[in-house]
Amino acid sequence: MMMASASSTGEEIGWEAALIQRARRGDSHAFERLYREYSGRVYGLCLRMTRDAAAAEDCAQEAFINAWRALDRFETRSAFGTWIHRIAVNVVLGKRRRVSYGTETTLDSEVLEASEWSFDTPVEEEEIEAAIAKLPEGARDVLVLSGIYGYSHIETAQMLGLAEGTCKAQLHRARKLLAERLNVEMG
Amino acid sequence: MTSTDGTDDTKRPSAGRLIRSLGELPLDVAPPRDLWPAISAQVAADKAQGGAGALPAGRSRYLPTRVQWAALAAVVFALAVGMWLGRSVLPGKGVQTGPGIVAQSGDPAVAPGANGPVGTNNGTGVQPGGGQAVPAAAFVTDPRYLKERKEMIAALEAQLDTLPPESQQKVATSLKTIRESMKDIEAAMGRDPANALLQELLVNTYQDEMRVLTAVHEASGAGRGI
Repeated sequence: MMMASASSTGEEIGWEAALIQRARRGDSHAFERLYREYSGRVYGLCLRMTRDAAAAEDCAQEAFINAWRALDRFETRSAFGTWIHRIAVNVVLGKRRRVSYGTETTLDSEVLEASEWSFDTPVEEEEIEAAIAKLPEGARDVLVLSGIYGYSHIETAQMLGLAEGTCKAQLHRARKLLAERLNVEMG
Repeated sequence: MTSTDGTDDTKRPSAGRLIRSLGELPLDVAPPRDLWPAISAQVAADKAQGGAGALPAGRSRYLPTRVQWAALAAVVFALAVGMWLGRSVLPGKGVQTGPGIVAQSGDPAVAPGANGPVGTNNGTGVQPGGGQAVPAAAFVTDPRYLKERKEMIAALEAQLDTLPPESQQKVATSLKTIRESMKDIEAAMGRDPANALLQELLVNTYQDEMRVLTAVHEASGAGRGI
């Protein structure tokens, strides 16, 4: 689970908890440090779910603002990273319901090249990201949360408001489609 | 070996490799621009508005409220103790204890506003010597009140010695509660000096202290326990 790596030691958890406590008391500098710590992860999730850099920026920004407003509802025994991810997923899903950027379209190679992926990674990663971006929305969401960010089926299902079985089915579908598009041998 | 689409089958990755690759993708993607200025602006706006949803700002509003409630609870307790002390010690009517200072019997039905500097009950003004209202906060700086209070506190220890230990304990508890209330209220007023409720609570708390001091004074003079 990626959040475990973010807060793998008691010292890190204590540091994060202290920042959260300070932010709860209205210390925006403490909240900024939380933003610096998690902005990449939140933006990455939003970008993979929206497939649109500008929309991902909007969603990440809104997620942090919503988190600031809801800090007293955050239970410190859970990971802040997981919590802010849940908020981000809610923001993306909410925006998707309101606007049209989430319609089922496939991105052609030109659009992918023009999009603001900022990975400094080998070509293989770019190919995978491009293939993920072409997945149908539901399958992509599950693959991003479960396959990339390491959430369990239950966590992923809760975040997306799906039944656990649906979540598993979508993940299977996503992997199958991805394998086909990347010319990967299945089984 | 080459497949029909021209790819080299020996280089085709396996599904397991794909799944591992997914897990190895970078979790962090740096936003193309810093989002913090926009977030910070919204946070500042929330704090300034103090509107619903501005939680930390709301929390900062909440703190004085919590202090107010705590102070109110302490005052109610102190008042109850004061009333009990007053009923135990004082005759049915107010006792003249000095120029312009009148201790009440503690009967809430009696309007304290008619009895000198301690006699305000609404935080809006007092009637020093009758008639002209002054701001409630002026009560605690009234020189006559301060002089009287200082004298009564100075005499308190000697007066307490004349009382039974049980009564001494009651008085000590009452005064401790009252003074803790004063500190809480004054601290809250430091953050919100214009708060009328706090001003009223402070005046009432000083009144409660004076009632206890007066009760001790009268009880020690009468040689009775509280």
